[in-house]
Amino acid sequence: MADPYQPHRTLERRQFLRTAAAGTAITALGATWIFADEWTNSAMAAATRADGRPRLPPGQRVIEALKPMGGEQGDPDPASFRLRLHGEVERPIELDFAALRALPHQEHRLDVHCVTGWSAFDVRFRGVSLPELAKLAQVKAQARYVIFEAAHGYTANVPLHEALRPDVLVTWEMNGARLPRSHGAPVRAVNPYLYFWKSPKWLTGLRFQSTDERGYWEVRGYNNHADPWKEERYA
Amino acid sequence: MSLKHFRPLLRAVHRDAGYLAVGLTIIYAMSGLAVNHIKDWDPNFTEVRQTLQVPIGELQAEPGQSPANDQLARSVLHALNWKEPPRSVYAPTADELDITFENADLHVDLKRRVAVHNGQRDRFLLRSANFLHLNRGKKAWTYVADGYALILLTLAVSGMFMIKGKQGLFGRGALLVLLGASVPVCYILLSRP
Repeated sequence: MADPYQPHRTLERRQFLRTAAAGTAITALGATWIFADEWTNSAMAAATRADGRPRLPPGQRVIEALKPMGGEQGDPDPASFRLRLHGEVERPIELDFAALRALPHQEHRLDVHCVTGWSAFDVRFRGVSLPELAKLAQVKAQARYVIFEAAHGYTANVPLHEALRPDVLVTWEMNGARLPRSHGAPVRAVNPYLYFWKSPKWLTGLRFQSTDERGYWEVRGYNNHADPWKEERYA
Repeated sequence: MSLKHFRPLLRAVHRDAGYLAVGLTIIYAMSGLAVNHIKDWDPNFTEVRQTLQVPIGELQAEPGQSPANDQLARSVLHALNWKEPPRSVYAPTADELDITFENADLHVDLKRRVAVHNGQRDRFLLRSANFLHLNRGKKAWTYVADGYALILLTLAVSGMFMIKGKQGLFGRGALLVLLGASVPVCYILLSRP
């Protein structure tokens, strides 16, 4: 007599094999998804910059695109935009958007590091360099700091010698397109050497000073210097 | 006044302070969750970005603001069948025209006859909650936030003493207070370099 359970068992075996294959595939895909980030980050961390430091600062993970990270928006209208260069300068000046755009400018591929732990690589920014703006305003010899001023009283302080690098920019274009409002339109600062809160959106001025003055986040417990390679996140 | 007579008063204070705190607690909690995860999303806006072909002839703008640029903007908007009136029109260079609207921008490349539309839609409730939570309004809201902090302190202190016996501060209450307080203490001890 045929075993009444035999067909059922065959089905069970098939079912088992199918389930096992599906389970293995899902596990493999899941592991790939989970570890892909890790592999990417390991590869990035292994890469080094021209100055010998790792391209990915400690405690950071690479993401594909820059995130806006909030902030109370400033006036996005280029018609009302003004950039004040003032403080310890021989020639205080106010630039409108067309005047800023008319200054010598370049596109740079820059890495951006956010204090919340993400980094974006090779973001293309077009803008005027800080040395160019400092030259225009004729910064006095006693100036030691630049206070980046932005909408709603936001400020960020940077030592002058660190701000005067050729790839620290006042920018209006990101990845070939004009800055969207969430990224600080019409103009923001970009400093690839410090955590990104030192690169204010909705920029309104550069104040050159002989003394330091802690900025918006610096008086709220964040580090005064903010070097990502030293993990200077908090005070 | 003995603690026996004091407890009904504490319970009444705790109850009414609790009612007062409901609205602000919901606002602060909603905003706190939204802003805590700010690296994963934008809690204030949703973004719109599209590139549009502008069916017009080759035109040039006058750098800056001018009636001619306003006329040019009208032609562009007509060609795009765009109904909303602009807030401002500005030409950063002779080949570009920026048209600003309340919640969007059109960046028109007059040479290539292409317009990039950058727009954003307000997440009204969350944005309002974030505005209050982060005290972007300053001024009077500082007093409201201080008042809320005092209400929370009142709730915490009255909550500790309003129940007597095993469920109170000399039993289960003490354990839970210690457990709650140990979380930030352990976090600081373990996370500091």
